[in-house]
Amino acid sequence: MSKEYNIDKIAERINRIEDVLASVAAGDLDARINAEAEDDLSGIEAAIDLLIDDLTDELKQREKMQKEVEDKLSKIQEQQKTILQQQADLLELSSPVSKVWDNVLILPVIGTLDSQRTQVMMENLLEKIVETGCTISILDITGVPTVDTQVANHLLKTVTSARLLGAECIISGISPAIAQTIVHLGIDLSTIKTKATLQDAMIFAMKQNKRSENVKLQSLFTSSDEKEE
Amino acid sequence: MNNDLHEKRIPIIKIGNFLIVSIQVDMHDKLALQLQSQILQEIEKTGAKGVLIDISVLEMVDSFIGRMLSGMASMAAIMDAAVVIVGMQPAVAITLVELGLEMPGVDTALNMEYGMEMLERRLNDDDISLY
Amino acid sequence: MLGLTSDINWETLSKHLIDSENNIVEVRQLVRYHAKQLSMGIIDQTRITTAVSELLRNMYNYGGGGEVLIEKGIVDDKISLIITCTDHGSGIEDLELAMSDGYTSGNGMGYGLPGAKRLVDRFEIKSELNMGTIVRVMKWK
Repeated sequence: MSKEYNIDKIAERINRIEDVLASVAAGDLDARINAEAEDDLSGIEAAIDLLIDDLTDELKQREKMQKEVEDKLSKIQEQQKTILQQQADLLELSSPVSKVWDNVLILPVIGTLDSQRTQVMMENLLEKIVETGCTISILDITGVPTVDTQVANHLLKTVTSARLLGAECIISGISPAIAQTIVHLGIDLSTIKTKATLQDAMIFAMKQNKRSENVKLQSLFTSSDEKEE
Repeated sequence: MNNDLHEKRIPIIKIGNFLIVSIQVDMHDKLALQLQSQILQEIEKTGAKGVLIDISVLEMVDSFIGRMLSGMASMAAIMDAAVVIVGMQPAVAITLVELGLEMPGVDTALNMEYGMEMLERRLNDDDISLY
Repeated sequence: MLGLTSDINWETLSKHLIDSENNIVEVRQLVRYHAKQLSMGIIDQTRITTAVSELLRNMYNYGGGGEVLIEKGIVDDKISLIITCTDHGSGIEDLELAMSDGYTSGNGMGYGLPGAKRLVDRFEIKSELNMGTIVRVMKWK
């Protein structure tokens, strides 16, 4: 029971298999053996072709999925950009500094303070101090529910920086909860002027104004219009 | 080198009882130290009671210049002259605080006018306490 | 710290030798210029310029001068200014100590390294005794 094998032919076919496998490995997914003969070897050849078919399908599937993921990702990134931009806008909007009296600025803070927002707030306030030449500013945190170590440190930094510019910064509206947290956290606010309410802070600021020679309270009441720029 | 330092010499102007120094150049360390002793000598020479140092054009104050300025204030204080640092930029102030230099005990003013008023007030207070 | 972060895609903006106090002034002004080019905010410009000034002073006073490399590149997906200061001085014996607040090795310094670290977004240091010190700082845009 022996078949006649043509050794040359077999060698040629094995070479062909090797070639095809090599091209598939190199990325040519269209390469197939496409055996014509019907013998022992052809089974292997057909199996290899099938395997390549499967592999091709799999790869195409994966490519498609990857593309979908990439599309989604770029969409998300786009949205993220918008969100970041809006956040930045909101930051600017949420810390308005206004001049309420001669020589007095007020920055009312409402909502949760995070590190980034406090940073923007601090920059705005300091810029405004220089711009207006007001030597007293009140940072009112009545609308702030909680304060953590980082935020407390930012507040401290703001007050210290304002002092370096030549201005005094008072923090008002410290709720019992915030007072408790600050002391529990071991943050030393003793170097800072703090007031319970915005009203107290305003009274303090007025008294300071009265004391300093460059602003005379009395002239404000009589000729406040003239003094406006 | 010496020549180079002379070129960058920072002028010290005397007005009444006060000295006015306006730092207009980005100082290197030697120049900063030179300015420090120059001001102290001028205090001695003129008997000035106050010094206004305007740093409004300085875009950067690092630890060396910061220390020079606060040292300057303490040294002048011993010589009975008050120092006021005038016109520090917000970015400079924030950076100094972050650097760890909070300059306690150094008087500051938003601008020349306020600084001058501050010194005058101080001088008046001193007069009152005398009599 | 094992090594310094680096990337072949970083673009060299300029390179300088520090051997006089005037160099220090020139280079820190250049750092501000590049920070401005990257459209950093005024406070960040001041932070990086001040940090570099501290590093250059350390390098000049204790490392006997050295080289500064200013680069631009992407670090952690963020556009950054990267500044590398290399000296060939005696190196730092105890890095942890040198990085602690208030520590001073010479004429009343002590804000230099820890201060500079607080002003930048990333701070990397590598020092070998008798070989020198490399400090690399980065500031995101």
